[in-house]
Amino acid sequence: MPVLSRLIPVLGVIVVATVVVLTRGAWLPAIGHALPAIWRIAKVTVAEARRRRVVQAVIILVAVILFSPTFFSYRSPYEQARTLISGGLAAIMVFGILLAIFVAAFLIPHEIETRTVYAVLAKPVRRFEFVLGKYLGALIILGVIVAVMTGVLVLVLVLQDKIVHDLPDSAFNPNLGPVLFAAAMNYCALAVLTGLIILISTVASTTMTVVSAFIIWAIGSGQTFFHDLAERASGASRVLLLVLYTIVPKLENFDFRNEASNFMSMSYVSGWHAVLQGIGYTFVVLLVAALFFNDRQV
Amino acid sequence: MRGYRVSRWLLALLGIGVLMLLVPAQESIHKARPRLFDPNRKTRTTSGLELGPTPAVIASLGGFRTVAADLLWMRMERVWDTGNWWALLPLLDAVTQLDPNFILAWKVYGWHCAYNMNAESETLLDRKYWLDRGLEILRRAVDVNPKSWEMVFELGWTYYDRAHQPYRAAEYVRQADELPGAPSYVTRMRYRVYEHIMDFDRLFPELRYALSRHKDDHAHQKLVKRDLEWWSKVRDDPREHRRQITIENTARQQRALPFWLFPDDPYWVVCPYDGLPSKKGSKVCQACGRPLPASPAGPTSEPLLPG
Repeated sequence: MPVLSRLIPVLGVIVVATVVVLTRGAWLPAIGHALPAIWRIAKVTVAEARRRRVVQAVIILVAVILFSPTFFSYRSPYEQARTLISGGLAAIMVFGILLAIFVAAFLIPHEIETRTVYAVLAKPVRRFEFVLGKYLGALIILGVIVAVMTGVLVLVLVLQDKIVHDLPDSAFNPNLGPVLFAAAMNYCALAVLTGLIILISTVASTTMTVVSAFIIWAIGSGQTFFHDLAERASGASRVLLLVLYTIVPKLENFDFRNEASNFMSMSYVSGWHAVLQGIGYTFVVLLVAALFFNDRQV
Repeated sequence: MRGYRVSRWLLALLGIGVLMLLVPAQESIHKARPRLFDPNRKTRTTSGLELGPTPAVIASLGGFRTVAADLLWMRMERVWDTGNWWALLPLLDAVTQLDPNFILAWKVYGWHCAYNMNAESETLLDRKYWLDRGLEILRRAVDVNPKSWEMVFELGWTYYDRAHQPYRAAEYVRQADELPGAPSYVTRMRYRVYEHIMDFDRLFPELRYALSRHKDDHAHQKLVKRDLEWWSKVRDDPREHRRQITIENTARQQRALPFWLFPDDPYWVVCPYDGLPSKKGSKVCQACGRPLPASPAGPTSEPLLPG
């Protein structure tokens, strides 16, 4: 098994390098044309989201985070810090996931249902550019939302650190560095999930996409469960579980909320590995999304 | 059209190649976060699914275990105020299962069993059960959080203060002292565990070690110097020996634990029935009048020396 596990990435390098060399005549000119088109579609997507008043959801969360310190003022400084950090980061994740699902799931199906996609595709825009543009637009919206929410959480933590009087055995620790890192990792998880939602939305209806997105989120959050099951299983079921484990988005890789709220040391290196892994996974997902959308009768 | 077909297959191949490239990245994540991904880790999601309460199942699927633990912890605080101590146990169990790194929850859970439930028990069997359960909970907590000096010290303290097993306590206190962030009182605890049992062979080296640590902490230096001077002065004082024997065995009696018999004490022989000291060479206990054994061997709560 160790030999095989070393052979897989080597084979991967060979395959990727071969494909890149074989198709160099196609993708080099395509990039030059695609980037402006993708950016234009992303800007339109952001403008549409602003019209749909997505920001209102953020305002609600910001209000909750702002007032939350008063809910826990009777607790010890350590407990206050822990609850604020875990609750704040979880709130960012929950609202982020809800927004990612309800923004990304509507992007492509809505364009098809309102037939605006015909007007877009009639212009010199390729289908993969359309998909990537929509994805980039969703990323920008989520980025702004996560940044605003994280900013408010950090502000609340800094203010609480000034207000709360530390006790001899219990201190308020705002833990800002790990909180920012965990929030950034939250955003990366949302980016991976959004890519997958875009993929589903290229072949399914809006309702189906929303339902599937929730299921994927649940499965992706339980990757260690599949990993454990695969470790214990044998034969065909082990192979099946390993395939399932490889396919599901590994959202737990990005989950550093527990470390941040328990004031534990952070494995920043594994964070960067998770980001690299997420980029690769999202690349494949968007590639498949582009292929599906290319074949769709629109 | 032909070119398009070829490129589509090539793109599919590219996707597979990239997925293959991701395998080592995932493996390195597993290695970097053994607490979460190691197959032999102490906390498994599956154990939560098999043994845990319903909230553990729900939360483990959603990735919001920490928040669920916080909510249950708040619920636990409310139940605490009602005085229903039995109802706290499943809540504390759920909290520690949901968030095994919640140190305060582990400490309260272990303390609640080893102290409160132990004190509430009416039979010796129950007392022993709750003390053992409290220690077992704290040992589990140390397994999951081996780098937390607070957790390791809590286990050492419970062995020292509640179970009166000084040598086991000494092992954990030493471990806690070697972990980063341990304050000076943990270092002082290294010698305090030997005070009541008057194991001078270990007490004095630990006192000297404590003096060599925390040089900038004036309070620590003052306390250790005071203790070193005190023990140097009273090491061979029979009255101090008698005082320490009485303190230790009175505490053991209150906790319904076997007496410490101080077999090597040069001045006193300890009665195995009431734990009180009589002058060396006495045939009967000067307190209860029962005959004293010729050999000092007898029941203690642990082996006299660590294995």
